[in-house]
Amino acid sequence: MRRRSPLRLLGALPLLLAIASCAAPWGLRRQPSTPLGLGQESRQDPALSGDGRLLASVVERGGRNTVLLQERRSGTVLPLRHLRGRQPHSSPSLSWNGRYLALLVQQGPQRLAVVEDRATGQLHPLPLPGGREPERLSLAPDARQLALQLVEGGQTRVELYDLRGLLEPDLPPGQSLSNPAPPGVILGGAAVRHLERWR
Amino acid sequence: MRRPAARRVLRRFSVAGGLAGALALAGCGGGLRPLIGLNLQLAQRGEVRAPSLAGPWLALIRSGEGRGRVELIALERNAPVPLPGLNRPDAQPLSVSVDQRGEHLAVVRQLEGRTELVLYRRSLQALQPIAMQPAGVPRQVQISADGRVLAVELSRDGRWQVDLMELP
Repeated sequence: MRRRSPLRLLGALPLLLAIASCAAPWGLRRQPSTPLGLGQESRQDPALSGDGRLLASVVERGGRNTVLLQERRSGTVLPLRHLRGRQPHSSPSLSWNGRYLALLVQQGPQRLAVVEDRATGQLHPLPLPGGREPERLSLAPDARQLALQLVEGGQTRVELYDLRGLLEPDLPPGQSLSNPAPPGVILGGAAVRHLERWR
Repeated sequence: MRRPAARRVLRRFSVAGGLAGALALAGCGGGLRPLIGLNLQLAQRGEVRAPSLAGPWLALIRSGEGRGRVELIALERNAPVPLPGLNRPDAQPLSVSVDQRGEHLAVVRQLEGRTELVLYRRSLQALQPIAMQPAGVPRQVQISADGRVLAVELSRDGRWQVDLMELP
């Protein structure tokens, strides 16, 4: 009977390891919720920044649904400037580095999509024509597009909008602009200094 | 027999017409510029909801005939891509989220009387159920654009909570 040499078995080891890693490719690491530091209160509508560093969610504050922005790992709460008094908040969505927070707020009798630019401190209201009201939104990680879910004629549907005339892109570090912003968006100068401060 | 179908077609045309008008008005507005071609195509897809945008991808849930399907649309081609093994006729998706590479889709769905979270890997055409620990009923999910973190809204002990999970 032929015996397999130990060297041949050693040679097969990388293959065995590769097979083993394919067999369990999705081992999850669960982050305990305690670092979020908010005890037992109710929390809904989670949204992560593209890099996973920030978490926005909706919590109840004084009986009103209010968006809260936090560093995911430490739970540190980050300030938002323009959203007080516009509750209830819903459907938050963050750009790649968390520069932009898009969400739905209440403005008078209407639901309104807005984007808070954490770098410049500006709030961009995004009213829909015809008095239509959005139900949910999703901001593209690079902040170039926005998807809105709305109801019209009894039907729920989704519409996409181009934000390049309004917002600077928020790209992953090291990624260059392959599709430059249209005229009207100024990159550099003050914006770059802002970015350096808030990152 | 043909009347309901004709009504559906007419309704779809009227929705598309209304959308075109609304889009024309929107084009005159301030910061929001509608992506008209994509929106007309989305309107023709019938009832769609729960959008998730990431890079060149739009994931959403399309409803029809009493059930829902997860769809992934390649925005550059304005066309859905196949998701073999993800949709089932007996499953009702509630929430979907896609990462920037279009590789991972996280889905909350109802199946056989329970609600579950699953993670779909497109390159492997494989689906992995993810158990809630401690037990809870998921309602909504988001995956970070880099595909590394999941945030899950779930009902546990009578409250809404958010669980965070890191993917390897």
